[in-house]
Amino acid sequence: MKTNRFIFFALLLIPFAGKPLQGQEQQMSIRGSWTSDQRIRMHDPYPWSWSENRLDLGLKKNFSDKASFQADVWLRSFGFPFLTSTDQLFNKDESSPYNLDIREAWLDLYGFLLPQMDLRIGRQVITWGRGDRLNPTRSLNPLDLEDVWDFGRYHGVEAVKLDYYLNNDFFLQGVYVPFFRPATLPRGDLSAAFSGQFGAMPGTGKMQVSDSLILPELRPASSSSFGFKAGGFLLGFDLSVSYALTHDGLPLPSSAVVSLTDTVGNMMVQTELIFPRYHIAGADLAGSLAGIGIWAEGAMLVPAEEYLLNTDLSSIGLPGIESVALEKKPFFRYLIGADYTFRDGSYLNFQFLHGFFHERGKGNLNDYFIVEWQKKLFRDRLSISPVSGAFVVGDWKDIGNDFALVWAPVIKYFPNDNTELGIGVRLIGGKGNTAFAGMKDRDEVFGKAVFYF
Amino acid sequence: MKAITVKNGFFFITLFMATITISAQTAEEILKMTDEVTYAPDDQVSSTIITLIDKNGSESVRKAEMKQKGRSMRLTRFTAPASQAGIAFLSLPGDVMYIYLPAFGRERRIASHVKNQSFAGTDFTYEDMEAVPFSEKFTPHLLETTGEHFILELTPREGIRSDYSKLVIYVNKEHYYSTRTEFYDRGGRKAKELTITSGKVQGFWAQKEMTMQDLVKNHTTRIAVENISFNNDLDDSEFTVRKLVQQ
Repeated sequence: MKTNRFIFFALLLIPFAGKPLQGQEQQMSIRGSWTSDQRIRMHDPYPWSWSENRLDLGLKKNFSDKASFQADVWLRSFGFPFLTSTDQLFNKDESSPYNLDIREAWLDLYGFLLPQMDLRIGRQVITWGRGDRLNPTRSLNPLDLEDVWDFGRYHGVEAVKLDYYLNNDFFLQGVYVPFFRPATLPRGDLSAAFSGQFGAMPGTGKMQVSDSLILPELRPASSSSFGFKAGGFLLGFDLSVSYALTHDGLPLPSSAVVSLTDTVGNMMVQTELIFPRYHIAGADLAGSLAGIGIWAEGAMLVPAEEYLLNTDLSSIGLPGIESVALEKKPFFRYLIGADYTFRDGSYLNFQFLHGFFHERGKGNLNDYFIVEWQKKLFRDRLSISPVSGAFVVGDWKDIGNDFALVWAPVIKYFPNDNTELGIGVRLIGGKGNTAFAGMKDRDEVFGKAVFYF
Repeated sequence: MKAITVKNGFFFITLFMATITISAQTAEEILKMTDEVTYAPDDQVSSTIITLIDKNGSESVRKAEMKQKGRSMRLTRFTAPASQAGIAFLSLPGDVMYIYLPAFGRERRIASHVKNQSFAGTDFTYEDMEAVPFSEKFTPHLLETTGEHFILELTPREGIRSDYSKLVIYVNKEHYYSTRTEFYDRGGRKAKELTITSGKVQGFWAQKEMTMQDLVKNHTTRIAVENISFNNDLDDSEFTVRKLVQQ
């Protein structure tokens, strides 16, 4: 069935490729890239950790200067086959896994109803925020954490976005997202680092965990999100303020039932998880000071209610526990950043982030110092990033026991204008409870090839 | 005979007056004329083919569409190669610059630290690509007058940040369009040389081909300007972030 869909989609594209549509003046253009991304762990037994072959197709069709349709589609051969029986060898979907992902598909109508108004309708990413791939104010799209190293990847959502331009400098924006879509969690064993795990209680054996998700009801009052933004250019800076009422795409436990599975102390925990709702007030700015590029972005998140976690221990003879999973207290994620290009052509980018995308609740946010220094050589044929990574502080009072360090130097070679070949390593160290410290045994070498067409 | 004498006398007087007029033109006036000729149209729309030529003679090509209004508003959108297609730059007064990267789906502010950097891999820097009149940035000094050119030396005015210690420009005496510019780095070394082929389009002088040679890196960029049209009545709203992000 998947194969049929793939063929159908490919056939659908052929008539548009490079040929004018009948009755239309302009052509549908198809541009894109092919990416091969392979990774291997650096610790015994040196397993392959990632294999992706991706065709990223960008489709675009302009209708004069009044409308534009664009779409971004991924066709991927992804991951490794998990085969346990010969039956699966007869099924190509399982022996050679692949998928189709319509990342975005939207229609822009310029000068919609009023000359100063633009409408975008369809699956889209609402690109709020000034940060470099890390945006505390970007809240209307669920995170796509499938590849945790590709920060700033979001799922498109079905949405209506209306921009009204007061003049050439100032604008108002309203966004309505009718349906809820959850985040995608990291693939493979990295998911454990980003989702809380139940530890075994003292004196018990192994703990099995199963869960069920409680999605918001599919009706506007429950599943929808919306937001407003106002911004412009003032005193040399780009500024904006925003408000959104939206769901967190990452789940939160709301109840847990603990039971014994046998007589030797092994236990099972069945949990229910919900997607909390937030009021989010944000602000950002970008500009230049003494030739240095600067930007800042902050979001105050207020849970719509106090979210409780009810733990039922009755089957093991203990009273139930009601605890607070997420207080109805505001917490503040923010980011400041700067960049500079030196006279020798090298480029430095620095960001400080308080509160990563998966961290929530007052007092639970860590600090991240993210830096990249890049130098291009041989007329941009070679790019090296020897200083690239992050330092994470979980607890400033006990920094020696609660920190993480990620160092990810990369070398890229550009044999021609449309080809990029890269190789690098990711070395991770740390102690304590931060997500990156939890990934310390997952150092890896990666190689990537990209061809643009 | 008398008539001839009068005629000759008139000719010599005219020639003398013309010589006086030319030599009396100060460097400031010549540069101002150059700026006036260069920025005579209200706006300009054009296509450019940018050819990068390395020291071995290998070429790579970029293509871009460009709109410019006045002296400080410019929108450049790359159409080739595929890796750069869709990338767009917006330059506004006061060193305000934005880049639009299709992969990120949003604009990004560029600070002035990029001014001494190569523009899109070419031998032109962002500073070279600025649409700022010479007379606003530089103090001119007339070095020499040849049969065809005024040769001016330009040094940055006080308070102006430039990557160059001086420029030497060759201004055509007939139409005041500059035909050649030599760029000297901060160490006083001639680093780059720009030659311009110009021609008249819709009554205005226009750059039809520019060749920038980096004398240090032995690399050349040739920009051929095509489909030029002037005075298209472009509105200021064409040079906004709204238009930058519209593909």
